[in-house]
Amino acid sequence: MLKSILIVDDSPVARMIMKKCLPPDHGLIIYEANNGKEGVEKFLLHKPDLTFMDLTMPVMDGFTALSTIKKHDPQAIVIVATADVQEKVLRKVSTMGALHTIKKPPSKASVSEALQLATSAMEGQNKA
Amino acid sequence: MSGDIQPLFADEEKDILQEVMNIAFGQASAELAEVIDIFVVLSVPDIKVLKGSDLPDYLCKELKPATTVNIIEQSFLGKFSGQALLVFPAGAEKELLHLFTQDQESNSQDIDIDIDTLETETLLEVGNILIGACIGKIAELLNDVVAYDPPHITAKNLNLENCESPVPAENFAISIRTMFRFEQQNVEGYLFLIANQSSIDWLKKALIAFLESFE
Repeated sequence: MLKSILIVDDSPVARMIMKKCLPPDHGLIIYEANNGKEGVEKFLLHKPDLTFMDLTMPVMDGFTALSTIKKHDPQAIVIVATADVQEKVLRKVSTMGALHTIKKPPSKASVSEALQLATSAMEGQNKA
Repeated sequence: MSGDIQPLFADEEKDILQEVMNIAFGQASAELAEVIDIFVVLSVPDIKVLKGSDLPDYLCKELKPATTVNIIEQSFLGKFSGQALLVFPAGAEKELLHLFTQDQESNSQDIDIDIDTLETETLLEVGNILIGACIGKIAELLNDVVAYDPPHITAKNLNLENCESPVPAENFAISIRTMFRFEQQNVEGYLFLIANQSSIDWLKKALIAFLESFE
């Protein structure tokens, strides 16, 4: 069961929308970061069960942050949240180890699906 | 220069507008890639609100060392109405034309159109695609439907150091600076949305409604 998530996005509104799309009474501890560099730092500090990662951000973009996080922790569960769902982008983040991609703006349904996927992935890791 | 979005938009409205633009540009990237079959990235838009009279100076500073630009204009009509101005440094049309014809170079001598016309048509088509994708996505996110007039070149090789603003001095222009990156080529362009006060009033309400839709 997921206990904590990290939302990495430079837009405070995007982070707000993501939180609004979480199920009611989710009980999750939520960490936030406003660029990829801060995202990596907070990931290493808090070790969240799931990280939502925007791609287009100042200071460090989401591709670099994803790659850095996966280098530190290959088991890290990262789900990319982006409006740019070009095939090349989807393939690239998948190759880099993202579990899934949700299209922005997110919806309650897409976030719920993402949480379920992350839960399954975490359970699979625990069994292995 | 007014240069700041603050006087026209409250902090929360500015943040929502920025995110709506980010989403719109991201989705527009994905749709453009399907339309023109080229990997395109529209980078994080940097938004400012400028007075029309400040526009030439602003562009001069932003586009340095280029001082000569081409401007494509397209009007859009909906609850959010106005004109979109797409500004490219002069010369960008050659890079854009190359982009669209690079797979057909062996046949280029067969095209019975002079190069100037081709470059102008390229600017118009790129303008049509980019403006349509960006405005269309913004409208869609804010539950509006817009219609468009055909694009036209409103200025060719315009020297910014000695020109009148393409926007009436008393009007406000929402400036969205973005880099259009096509495959390996970077073409920096600026998209300006010029809206009247009633459209701005509608936009402010629509931005709040957008955020509330996630409740």
